[in-house]
Order: sequence, then C-alpha cells, then structure tokens
Amino acid sequence: MRGQGVSHLSRLELQILGDNTKMGWGLLAPIRSQTVSRSLLYNRRLPHSSFTPYFFQHFQPPSGLTLPSETMAKDMTLLWGSGSPPCWRVMIALEEKNLKGYNHKLLSFDKKEHKSEEVMKMNPRGQLPAFKHGDKVLNESYAACLYLENQFKSQGNKLIPDCPAELAMMYQRMLEGLTLHQKMIDVIACYWKVPEEKRPSSAGEWSSESLTTEIKLWEGYLQKTSGGFLAGKTFSLADVCVYPTIFTIFRFRLCEERYPKLAAYYNRLKDRPSIKASWPPTWLENPRGEDIMKDI
Amino acid sequence: PCWRVMIALEEKNLKGYNQRLLAFEKMEHKSEEVMKMNPRGQLPAFKHGDKVLNESYAACLYLENQFKSQGNKLIPDCPAELAMMYQRMFEGLTLQQKMADVIYYNWKVPEGERHDSAVKRNRESLTAEIKMWEGYLQKTSGGFLAGKTFSLADVCVYPGICYVFHFGLCEERYPKLAAYYNRLKDRPSIKASGPPTWLENPQGQDMLKDI
Repeated sequence: MRGQGVSHLSRLELQILGDNTKMGWGLLAPIRSQTVSRSLLYNRRLPHSSFTPYFFQHFQPPSGLTLPSETMAKDMTLLWGSGSPPCWRVMIALEEKNLKGYNHKLLSFDKKEHKSEEVMKMNPRGQLPAFKHGDKVLNESYAACLYLENQFKSQGNKLIPDCPAELAMMYQRMLEGLTLHQKMIDVIACYWKVPEEKRPSSAGEWSSESLTTEIKLWEGYLQKTSGGFLAGKTFSLADVCVYPTIFTIFRFRLCEERYPKLAAYYNRLKDRPSIKASWPPTWLENPRGEDIMKDI
Repeated sequence: PCWRVMIALEEKNLKGYNQRLLAFEKMEHKSEEVMKMNPRGQLPAFKHGDKVLNESYAACLYLENQFKSQGNKLIPDCPAELAMMYQRMFEGLTLQQKMADVIYYNWKVPEGERHDSAVKRNRESLTAEIKMWEGYLQKTSGGFLAGKTFSLADVCVYPGICYVFHFGLCEERYPKLAAYYNRLKDRPSIKASGPPTWLENPQGQDMLKDI
C-alpha cells in the first residue's frame, strides 16, 4: 500500500534496491525540476547511482488502497528548495502529521528558480517555500506549520503539548527561533558577499558577536530544559521550526565541543523519521559545508 | 510588539494584570528588572505564573489557546480564514522589519556606516511591502485581515499599520489601508491599549510621507 514506505515490496525487490540508507540524491540532480511523486523522492532504500532517472519515473508501488492522509495531501502543493530551513520546517511538519503523497517540486535557488513565473504565481514575494492546500495559500513556513497542526490535530504526532507550561515554552522558543535564524543568515550572507580569494583562511573574521551570544543563549536553554526537546518532554512545533536552523549551523561547522547540549540535541534528532525523510537532498551529496561557523 | 500583547489581553477580557510602563529613551528596557524577566533586554516581557512569554506573537498565541472560551474568539473556525490569519500574521513580521529599517535607520546604523543607497533601498522595499498590504485589503472582503472576523492577524499587524500612519503615510495613496486603520481605531481593545505617548502627540514625524 502506498504511504507505508517499502514494506509492501517483496523481499526480492528489496534485495534489488539494496539496503543503502543513503538516499540517491545525486541521481535526482538531472530530474530536479520534474514533479515526482513524494513516495519516490523520499524512498530511502533507493541506491545511489546504479539506476537511471527513467527508473524513478517508472517504478511505482502497486496501486492499492489510498490512505485517507494521502487523499488530504493530494490537494497540497509544496514548492521548495534544498537546504532552505523554512522549506524543511514545512516538510517535517507534513511528515509528522502523516501527510504523504502531496504534490511537490524541488527548485534550484542557484538557477533563480524561486523567481520563476510558477513560484511568483503562488508567492508574489518570489520566496520558498510556497505551500498551498486547496486554495489556501501558506507561504510563510511558520504559518504552514501552525495551520497543519491545527487542521490535522488528530492524525500523526501531536505537535502542540497540552501542558500549559510546555505550550508556553513551545511558542516562546518557536518565535525566538526566528531571531536565531536571522542572525545565522546575517553571518552566512556576510561570508558569501566576500569573493573567495578575499576570504581569510582563518575563519576568525566571520565570528559574529551577535550570533555567538544567541547560540550561547540556546545552549543555556537546552541546559535548563529537561526532557530533550525545546519545549520539554515532547517533540513539538518548536523543534519542527528551530531544528532546521540548528542543523544548518552545525553543517557550517559550529564546534560541537563548545556547545555540547546543542550538539547532543542536533545529533539525537538527526534520526527522527520525519527529519531523516525530509533531509535536504543537496546536503546528502555534500554533508559538510564551509566552516563559516567554526569560530562562533 | 507590546501593543499586540495588550490588545490580546483586552480581547480575552484579561483585566487587572500587573503592568509597568517603561521608557525606551531612558534605556529602562536594559534595566535589571527587565533583564531578569527577559535576558534579551527587550520589551514586552510577559509572564503568566512562571511561564515566560517575551515574544509578542508567542504571548498572543498562548493567550488565545489558553483562554479560548472567554472574551472574543481570535482564531477563526473556517479553515480558509484560519489559513489566511496565520499567513498574514507572519507576513506582518516582514512588514515590521521593513518599517523598522526605514524608521530606525539612523538609530541603528552608526554615522560612519550610513549610506544614501541603503536608505533608498530600504524605502523602496517598504513601499513595495505597503503596496502589497494595500492589495491584500483590496482582495479580502470582510474588513479584517483574515476575512470577516477580527483575529490574531489583526492583533499582531494592526499596531504596525497604525505605526506607519503615525509616521505620516499618505492616506490618499493607500485608501484601503487607511480605511482599515481608521475603522479599527475605535475598537474597544485597541482604544483601551493605545500607546499613551501617542495620545499626547497624535501626529508623529512625517518620515513616511513620501512612501
């Protein structure tokens, strides 16, 4: 049945596919701009490079029962870019709510596809993510996440805690996450503005006091909060919204020894199914980014 | 941001809360009292029991969630209005940022680093943003940002819209925005929580006159 990963495949089919847990993203580069069904894109068992794109388009799980969550997701469309934390937030939320089979298209920031007519039609701001459910447009990632939890409360994982203290903490950390994200963007933008030849070899110059203070604050938050998640004992919208940013900072080589609690949080959540399933494809090919954050 | 929380408290009929008016000009937002409640040294700083909610949007969302059954309902049931509410709420943060980039440019940027080109760019960006919101109000029927009912979108974005008019935005140029601004001025929750310093001085500078 669709929507249940690869459990429907026969043992022979699984053997052919191999048990490579690395998603075949390098393979996806040529078909980056094509719409593919979500189950193919996120099928973790498909190996790296032994199949052609043709395989992707023609390998279809047997059609059978369509799950209710897929019916709902059919009216959803997501235009996204790889490595964009806002896009990743929405994808994590969709996974957590078991909304599979939504229409989506991976676009390339490098090729300025986020300014294409297709995107502009859905989002006049020319930004990704651009998300729609029926005729309801939710281009702001936080708006999309809050909407999805509100509308699909009873399916998938509960993302808003009942406990008032955890609820308050969740909202607070969610919104503080925007500050963290902005400060990270400021540092990264600064780095990219300077041409390669002019970048100092020691990354000391990229050390930003503002971002350092901010990250220290978050390290402190994780020290004080027991339970392993940003809001407390359960995974919540705070984690959905902030984890992608924290992940990005570590990808750009934030020192794990200097921020042990943050590093532990980052590493622990890496394997959460919703996060693993929506991992930015370009980062699988290239797991470590530039060491912009090395001296933070 | 402070005004948002106050509007939300009024809408939810939460009166009699402890409050202190502090002066930004006297740097009181960096005082020990504030830092204890908000290590970021920012206002608003809001607490309910031991639950700290210093982010205005967090406080508003929390208040509606916890006091759903009292005061006015701030989150619509209709999914289309709900989606519109969340979308406009968060777009409101962009409006606020662009507004601050223009209004607070000289306050934020040290004299030696100021550029006319940056000022021009910020103003153009704000103009485009405001035109977008004028467009939103043209397209949305019902008189409120999310549609037919007053919602968290209005709670969070109205203060910003009020702000741009306070700084001289031309009402004739943006008739829908002006109508929205004037219509909501007299809403009880907004009237009750309007910035006291603005009442003394209803027309602020005209920095945004030409936007």
